[in-house]
Amino acid sequence: MATITLNGKLQEVPNTLMVLDAARQAGIEIPTLCHHEALGPYGACRLCVVEAEGPALRRCLTTACTLPVADQLWVETGSPAVQQARKMVLELLLGRSPGSRPLLALAERYGVVGSRFGSGRDGDTCVRCGLCVRACRDKIGTAAISFAGRGQERQVSTEFGELSEVCIGCGACAAICPTQTIRLMDREQERVVLRQELVVARCRLLRCRSCGASFATGKLRDQVASHLQEQLNESRAALCPKCRRAASVQLNLPVWEPGPQVVR
Amino acid sequence: MQARQAPVSSLVVNPTLRIAPFHFPEPKVTIKVCMGLGGVAAGGGEVLKRFQQAVAERRLRATVGRKCEVEQVGCMGFCAKDVVVEVSMGGVTTAYQYVEPEMVARIVDEHIVGSVPVKEWQAGPDCTAFHAKQNKVVLGACGAIDPEDINSYREIGGYQALWRTLGIMSPVALIEEIKRSGLRGRGGAGFPTGMKWEICRRSPGERKYVICNADEGDPGAFMDRAIIEGDPHAVIEGMILGAYAIGATQGLVYIRAEYPLAVQRLRHALAQARQHGFLGKRIMDYGMDFDIQVKLGAGAFVCGEETALIASLEDEIGEPRPKPPFPVNKGLWGMPTVINNVETWATVPKIVRRGASWFTSIGTEKSKGTKIFSLVGKIRNTGLVEVPMGMPLREIIYDIGGGIPGNKKFKAVQTGGPSGGCIPAEHIDVPVDYENLTAVGSIMGSGGMVVMDEDTCMVDVAKYFVSFCMDESCGQCTPCREGTREMVRLLDDITAGRGSEEHLATLNELCLVVRDLSLCGLGKTSPNPVLSTLRYFRDEYDAHIHDKRCPAGVCKALISYSIDPAKCNGCTLCARNCPQKSIGGEKRKVHSIEQAGCIKCGICYDNCKFGAVRKA
Repeated sequence: MATITLNGKLQEVPNTLMVLDAARQAGIEIPTLCHHEALGPYGACRLCVVEAEGPALRRCLTTACTLPVADQLWVETGSPAVQQARKMVLELLLGRSPGSRPLLALAERYGVVGSRFGSGRDGDTCVRCGLCVRACRDKIGTAAISFAGRGQERQVSTEFGELSEVCIGCGACAAICPTQTIRLMDREQERVVLRQELVVARCRLLRCRSCGASFATGKLRDQVASHLQEQLNESRAALCPKCRRAASVQLNLPVWEPGPQVVR
Repeated sequence: MQARQAPVSSLVVNPTLRIAPFHFPEPKVTIKVCMGLGGVAAGGGEVLKRFQQAVAERRLRATVGRKCEVEQVGCMGFCAKDVVVEVSMGGVTTAYQYVEPEMVARIVDEHIVGSVPVKEWQAGPDCTAFHAKQNKVVLGACGAIDPEDINSYREIGGYQALWRTLGIMSPVALIEEIKRSGLRGRGGAGFPTGMKWEICRRSPGERKYVICNADEGDPGAFMDRAIIEGDPHAVIEGMILGAYAIGATQGLVYIRAEYPLAVQRLRHALAQARQHGFLGKRIMDYGMDFDIQVKLGAGAFVCGEETALIASLEDEIGEPRPKPPFPVNKGLWGMPTVINNVETWATVPKIVRRGASWFTSIGTEKSKGTKIFSLVGKIRNTGLVEVPMGMPLREIIYDIGGGIPGNKKFKAVQTGGPSGGCIPAEHIDVPVDYENLTAVGSIMGSGGMVVMDEDTCMVDVAKYFVSFCMDESCGQCTPCREGTREMVRLLDDITAGRGSEEHLATLNELCLVVRDLSLCGLGKTSPNPVLSTLRYFRDEYDAHIHDKRCPAGVCKALISYSIDPAKCNGCTLCARNCPQKSIGGEKRKVHSIEQAGCIKCGICYDNCKFGAVRKA
């Protein structure tokens, strides 16, 4: 445990945490775009700026998501310097993505009216937070998308901007995207993963043998099977989650079948 | 990588004696041709070949009755005078400058055979002045030894530091020695090297790495390249000592692919070091395994940042990672790693060989030893200089650098590359060390020194360096990616005459946020050129904004060319050279420039022999 001073109050927190986690546990609001509990610290959006000082840290502005909790650390999450820096970061982000609704909501929340900046590329809603890239690589293990290009040219892309062959169409990227820049479109036979105008992948959709609704991609089912290291029960795997539950009830099977340990 | 079993040379077989071989050079004639990249570019390869031919044709070994050797050496420092050739004969060394292949035969005939140096081609007093105030601790061997011959390095005491250390001095004692020397990292930040090693030694890890950062990317900086090209074994020896100190088994050199000659010489040197038993299994019959691998970078500026460099070595995208954890705790592949710059590694063997107290006798209280600077820009003597820490800037620029060409006025010097700042004339007497440069708003950086004269527009300079940072930003964090672009846009407006007081206020505000909030050191320092020029040259910004005038006459939108009727004699030279055909006038009559068509290329201004074209 470590004792930190958080906005003037002494707090006892586990020293495995980052300041961002500690603050959120204490009910202090800190905005973020690139942070997710399931992924490691990244420190790209810089919205979670705080003012900090510690035994091994001279007073400075830094990001709460990358700052480990340490004894005698002093942290201020809403000082004038923090507010000013945060507003500037929001303005810079808005300069690139003036139409992004989540960004506009954040801007309103933190008192930013309009932006003095502009990249001249209206319609770009991607804030380069890297959540999709990290989720795909670190959690799904696919790395179908990555950042391509440097600096101004940086964008989320597949290999050479071509249709990805390794994407399993799980939709983790779309689910985690804070600005809805990545979307899934389920059509008749296939799921299309889109990053704005770029088609990331097209994956064949499975249809429920019972109700006919599409529910997952074939590649996703295969990946799940390989993680479970056993053959899926064919007749049950051909059903959508809803019908599978119904079938389980009819057959008096446990609705949740505890399978073998998932190997990662 | 599996360390290769290296054959141990016959010189190294007696493990009980452990006495370094001594070599007494016999009197001889040596011809040293500068074959650093500057020398090669000026035609050094051909000059070297001609010398070898001439010596062979004249059978000098037999007829002169003494050994005559032609050697290629690394950068001699004075790149502005390349190809530089040094002839040593009977204890006297004569330097020739601007040597071309056609000059070789006469030098050999008159100087070596006839013993009378060719006066008119000899390097002049500026060459003597260039070298007089330097203290070549690290660069000493560059330009003196053959970089492709390990014995040449061993003749001047190379690898003796290893003999004195391995198995004789404990790693802890070695670290203490480096700590006592006060050596600080030469790559930019100036972190104490000994302390870095100590933290890494204490940090737990199953493997440890030493890395040499040779990803030199600052515009106008080339000291690391020169060291590797001229004295690669010094870097290798330094890395072996570092590995011994922290307990590393593998070393890596991360070097830019744009330095082909340095890469080639480094690989060659590594192979020789393995052959001689300095690298591989059980090096020098001491129970230490260590080998060095070369990794090529693809020329991204950000990969010079240590965490981005590690990411690149791990085959990830070269992007910085948040610190902590620092590389000394969790570096390459999550293992404790020491990363030092080329110059730092090359300094280490000298400290071990000559002792920490010798090293501390050079330099200032907090900055010990010497520092290499690459002196470029508006300066007479372009080249590499090595001076003791604490030498006033004035001495470097005027005494060593020979001042500003064309009787122009010195305006500022940019130190530390794009991350550094501009130091104005009022601070020209500042002693050059880590603390003093920081105090005047710049940094030591890796040692680039770009000199600017009165014809340089400081707003334009700031724009150039920030544009560089924008192009080289990896784009990971918001302040650097978006902020540098906006800084360039604001500076663009100012230099184009669209600037207002509001531009300056926004620029200032933006710079502070980019400085305070960027993820890595490169982003944090990218506003430095703007901040330092705003601090010292605010009047130039004001002139651009309020008077719509560029005092240095650089910003095209704010200048116009006109012809002085009193001086124009109608020679038609300007009209003939104008790419826009915007200059009219008959022969022997006063010409005039049609402003609407003028693109302000300045060709008329440069060409007029009568000074009739005015720039305002």
